[in-house]
Amino acid sequence: MPDADALPLVEAQLRRFLRREVDAGSLEAGGRISDAMLAKVAELGLFGLSIPERWGGLELGLAGCCSVVTQLARSDRSLATTVGLHNGLGVRPLIDRGGDALRARWLPRLAAGEVIASFAATEAGAGSDLTRAATLATLDGDHVVVEGEKHFVTNGGFAGLFTILARTPDRGGARGQALVLVPRDTPGVTVGPEEHKLGLRASSTVTVRFDGVRVPADHVLGEPGAGASDALAALEWGRTLMAAGCVGTAVAATDAALEHVRTRRQFGRPLLSFPSVRQHVAAMLRESFAMQALVMAAGRAERRGDELSHLATAAKIVCSEGAFDLCDRAIQLHGGLGYLEGSGVARMLRDARVTRIFEGANEVLLARLGTALYAAESSAERRRLHEHDGPLAARFDDVDAHLEVALIRAREIHGLAGVRAQTLLQAFARADIALAAASACLASRSPERALAHQAAEDQLDRAERWIVAAAGAPERSARDALLVEPWVERRLDASPSSEVRA
Amino acid sequence: MLETPDGRRSRTIELIAEILEVQVDTVRPPQRLREDLGLDSLQSLELLSLLGEELRLELPMEEALELETVEDACAFVERTVAANA
Repeated sequence: MPDADALPLVEAQLRRFLRREVDAGSLEAGGRISDAMLAKVAELGLFGLSIPERWGGLELGLAGCCSVVTQLARSDRSLATTVGLHNGLGVRPLIDRGGDALRARWLPRLAAGEVIASFAATEAGAGSDLTRAATLATLDGDHVVVEGEKHFVTNGGFAGLFTILARTPDRGGARGQALVLVPRDTPGVTVGPEEHKLGLRASSTVTVRFDGVRVPADHVLGEPGAGASDALAALEWGRTLMAAGCVGTAVAATDAALEHVRTRRQFGRPLLSFPSVRQHVAAMLRESFAMQALVMAAGRAERRGDELSHLATAAKIVCSEGAFDLCDRAIQLHGGLGYLEGSGVARMLRDARVTRIFEGANEVLLARLGTALYAAESSAERRRLHEHDGPLAARFDDVDAHLEVALIRAREIHGLAGVRAQTLLQAFARADIALAAASACLASRSPERALAHQAAEDQLDRAERWIVAAAGAPERSARDALLVEPWVERRLDASPSSEVRA
Repeated sequence: MLETPDGRRSRTIELIAEILEVQVDTVRPPQRLREDLGLDSLQSLELLSLLGEELRLELPMEEALELETVEDACAFVERTVAANA
């Protein structure tokens, strides 16, 4: 069933469910999401959003899944994370790379929510650098033996099926990896206790050990040795769905702030009548518009079968940072009340914080994207998402051209050594994703044209600032990378209790 | 060590092994940087950038992007040394 048919039905049921049965404060206070709540989510079909109809799912595309995750996140971010992880990283590798027998065995149960999916990649020694994953998947006859420990496993507490990233010493060379499907009830799987987290407290995050776990060889998804690129493909869905959750948080924080500034009076006037308050509100609306536009652009790219990696990365970075900024502004607009848990915005800020870290720390993603730009690998990907012309489209082309010139100059000055100048690369990447966000705003089909244009202008301003920053970045980068500043070295050598006096 | 072609070749392979955190005798000249050693194109560039710094060579980026094997990297270093001589 195409999105256009299934989505309105799902969303109507979802709105009723969220209104009647979901209270984020109570969910958090109750600890991990209850089995009863998971059963209700399953009844709504939310665990089958991305699973093809032939296996009992709704077969929504990425755009439709994002829309549902945004709705969920407006009410509760833990629930949105659980559903988003299941439908993205949890099931996409099996859908895209599993054999027919494996898919027929698991996907109907996953779609029905009888089994919840999890994805396990991070380890104690492999966070942002997943190439260092030490978990092994070794061929033994017609089985694979898995040995290792995975950390920060989202959904792990209630998951029935794990997709894990493991090294394959038999295939793919020194860094060969594979995604391996491991059912929870396989002997040797041990699920640890729930982690105590800053936010997303009703979601599940655990450590999982795999001690001599034997699964049939067909549980290796895709080509053994190609796990790293398979994981990256799954992350395109994962990052976009996470960005969609950030949009939900942003909209909820903005709604809460608007409600407060409309009703709260100080100095004899409603807060909304003060220019500085209006400025905050307008900035929040523009930022959340840009976030939504980027997520929708990624959804359209997936529907067309276009390259998704760049937009998914841009959406992840822009939306995770935007959501945190908007929650912070919402707390500021609430004044002291915002600092109290009862306001709800404090929880939103806590929930949003981790999104700048998980599924790729933003700094690492920016450095990678910057390297690709510097190596002239992705300049074509940055090109217009919007088709129309006009003054702002012309300005987009100007800023785009400035970035290209700045990149060419940097390559001339720094040559191959520039691929290790992180500050420089990140500045270029930030300019690039701001351009992507600007273009997504201009490509938006929203009837709010003035808002779309102003949101695009914000992003173009941002891109220009980062291009200027990049021009001054190499010196700073060298200084930071080499820690040549004597005061930095002194501080690093000092004991933790030593003081710095101004 | 870096004055002779053999020395530069050994150091190139050593450096690749160091960056990959594998034993040096597991890195062999015919191996492909991406398919066999698991580096992606950007990691290959970082590796070559480190090589350039270690060998004090200005390595052109356009050529660096085209390298496919360990042998290519060794030959690339030699070509650049010859061109700079």
